[in-house]
Amino acid sequence: MLMQLGLTRGLIYQAAGTLLGMALTMLWRLLAGMDLWDRETVFVVGFLVGGFAFMWGVGAIDDWIDWCRGKATPLHHGPPKDKPAWTRYFSTDYNHKVIGIQYSITSLLMLLIGGSFALIFRAELAQADLQFLGMGMYNKLIGLHGWAVIAAILLGVGGMGNYLVPLMIGAEDMAFPRLNAFAFWINVPGAVMLLASVFLGGFDAGWTAYPPLSTSGAVGFQLLFLAIYFIGLSSILGSINILVTVFTMRPPGMDLFRIPIFCWAMIATSLIQLTATQAIGTAFLMGLSERMLGMGFFDPEGGGNPILFQHIFWFYSHPAVYVFVLPGLGIISELLPVFSRKPLFGYKWIALSSLAIALVGFLVWGHHMFTSGYSSYLRIPFMISTLLVAVPTGVKFFSWVATMWGGRLRFPTPMLFTLGAISVFLLGGLTGPILATVASDLYLHDTYFVVGHFHATLFGGFVFPFFAAIYFWFPKITGRMYNEALGKLHFYIMTPAFWLMSIGQMTVGTMGMRRRIVDYDPLLGGGLVEARHLETTIAAFLIGISILIMIYNLVVSAEIGVRAPSNPWRSRSPEFQIPSPIPEHSYAAPLRVVGEPYDYGLEESYVTMDESDAAEHHT
Amino acid sequence: MRSANPRHFLLVGLLVVVFTLVIQWILDKSLPLPALQASAQAGAIDNLIGQHIWLIAAAGALVLVVMVYAMIAFRVRKGEEDLEGDYFHGHAGLEITWTVIPLIVVTVFGVIGTQVLTDITAEQPDELTVEVVGLQWSWRFAYPELGDFQTTQMVVPVNRPLRLSMYAEDVLHSFWVVEWRVKQDLVPGIETEMRVTPTQTGEFQLRCAELCGLRHAYMLADVLVVEQAEFDAWIAEQLE
Repeated sequence: MLMQLGLTRGLIYQAAGTLLGMALTMLWRLLAGMDLWDRETVFVVGFLVGGFAFMWGVGAIDDWIDWCRGKATPLHHGPPKDKPAWTRYFSTDYNHKVIGIQYSITSLLMLLIGGSFALIFRAELAQADLQFLGMGMYNKLIGLHGWAVIAAILLGVGGMGNYLVPLMIGAEDMAFPRLNAFAFWINVPGAVMLLASVFLGGFDAGWTAYPPLSTSGAVGFQLLFLAIYFIGLSSILGSINILVTVFTMRPPGMDLFRIPIFCWAMIATSLIQLTATQAIGTAFLMGLSERMLGMGFFDPEGGGNPILFQHIFWFYSHPAVYVFVLPGLGIISELLPVFSRKPLFGYKWIALSSLAIALVGFLVWGHHMFTSGYSSYLRIPFMISTLLVAVPTGVKFFSWVATMWGGRLRFPTPMLFTLGAISVFLLGGLTGPILATVASDLYLHDTYFVVGHFHATLFGGFVFPFFAAIYFWFPKITGRMYNEALGKLHFYIMTPAFWLMSIGQMTVGTMGMRRRIVDYDPLLGGGLVEARHLETTIAAFLIGISILIMIYNLVVSAEIGVRAPSNPWRSRSPEFQIPSPIPEHSYAAPLRVVGEPYDYGLEESYVTMDESDAAEHHT
Repeated sequence: MRSANPRHFLLVGLLVVVFTLVIQWILDKSLPLPALQASAQAGAIDNLIGQHIWLIAAAGALVLVVMVYAMIAFRVRKGEEDLEGDYFHGHAGLEITWTVIPLIVVTVFGVIGTQVLTDITAEQPDELTVEVVGLQWSWRFAYPELGDFQTTQMVVPVNRPLRLSMYAEDVLHSFWVVEWRVKQDLVPGIETEMRVTPTQTGEFQLRCAELCGLRHAYMLADVLVVEQAEFDAWIAEQLE
């Protein structure tokens, strides 16, 4: 049974491929008269081969191989014929809804893993001095926490995009279903390499992996570089798919300013992913080849410059923040009208503000480098461009509260998480300008204040909206309702705990505590720093517990929850006009857009599904 | 329409003012800066941070008050379950207003920020150059204008503008004395520069603020700020 799952085959192929790649490298070295063992080349080639072997084993390239052989491969939609239906979730499947679920579940899994790393070092930080965690392990865990959670966020973005975008525009699937499956599965060998790095010395330079620390550290850095190469490839391929789907597969009547607003968020997100991901690929490829081939990109002794890495790294990693948050902000805009029973305020402004954020986001990377030692005249333009991000972000906030104004608000769990998202993202957003301003950043840079700021940004921009989305579409996915009491319990534990944690991090930051230190001076902040850390640690554990409550709720409700009606939230969105759970081919008849997506209060609907078109549709 | 009732706007306006003050007070208490401002740069930076806290309080109060007010005033009431909210799509004037006003605010803060940065980094007459070297996991200091010697402790005269000329021997480090506020990275192969004028005598701690490997948390050095006479005597002692 287990061997029938693509995932199992893939992992076995990856292990075998890695060993084979290592063996071949050693054989080649032997024949070339070099030392048999060189950890850099042997591991890099080994893991590279292993990664592609996974894709072969899981079956994500089967159809393409068949095409090369001249065989036609009709697109099979539906559960596998000779295996139980659940196995499709663990194998290559081309249905966008299955792929969306695969992304989302993998995202939750990585979130749990990455969050657990954080809980380990939060426990260490509850008191000053060294407790149970060694200095080396601490330095490895912070970077691993960062990248595991970033992978989780990218997977979550992929999950929401893949599941929702085709449904919202009435398409039967994504534009390129095979590419879609490939783009999901390539994350898995990437995640395996990322987590395996800890067994090969880890990467102890934080998630930013600045050289020369990263170019002189353990071989774990090479696994990080390779892992991000694989995960980044997923971003690029996935974004092409989203863009082509939104631009070419909309039904008649759905012009660009009539698509559900989440699709606009995904357009902006995909434009960033498609054009910026290459930069981190470049930075990490340069790091990889500096280590393996001795190319002097960053090492001053080889004629390099360590600051070069920071420029290329942040050229992706700042826009990446908008990749993490824009889809979540789209979810907020999507859910508020439903639960306010009112049209979305300023649709075009919200849609275009996403594009504005994406565009300005490309011009602000230097604000991460105010103290780096780059030419000092660069600091002013980067300060100004960064402050400008506040303008389109402000448009979103004001439009959201104006959407609520005059509505008839109701507060089931998804709405609570939406409002929680706004409040938390507000905290993250408002603590931005103080860091964008050079003079105040000279104090706050590399302190815990920054840690508080970006955790608020990412929880408000991704985690809260992602959870809101999970609760909101759960009935459409499973055909059952989640448990409302448990959902609210999750919210009422997580939100205050998060506020406490984030403010606590900012507090110790202004007191003068640096980031990324395993031990701190207990005298900071007039001796109050330790108490704040203890509170922050307790809050972090509460967040962890609340997320476990959610997982329990989802797993149990999927089995025994109350049967969901087709439209539990009285939404106007097309996916709520078809049965729950959504059938294999989603829409029985083609959509026709006849109204506005958020006209709550009007009788006319957004879309019609004309059965008389159905015959034409299926030919 | 319920949403156009002027009572709502009056109440919200009042609450925004009240909560701006409340949030400012909370933030002031929960974001404490070190009491000691031991450099000429520290005061200007603390003032700037204080101005930003007011901005956070005002903008935060604006959004939170409207949001929470709407949650209460426009919640669905018993018997209203089948009713929808007021029907309106947007308002171009409002959207332009809340685009233009933030634009003006961030421009003003950009100008203030530029001014402060220019002030605290300006070249001063009579600067003392101190050469700072960072290496895993310790610090070295030299005074090229005063003689050919190196120390592991930084001793500087009070109220004398310092020009720190810095580089790293191995990996990135960052020079940070909390009470002086400003920080600057040390980079291998490149000379970086930072200006600071200590204004308080006493013993301070230099901490590395850029992750630099295993013992990064403990990469510290003592910084002694002393009167000019005491400094001259210390230099003389080093030169012996």
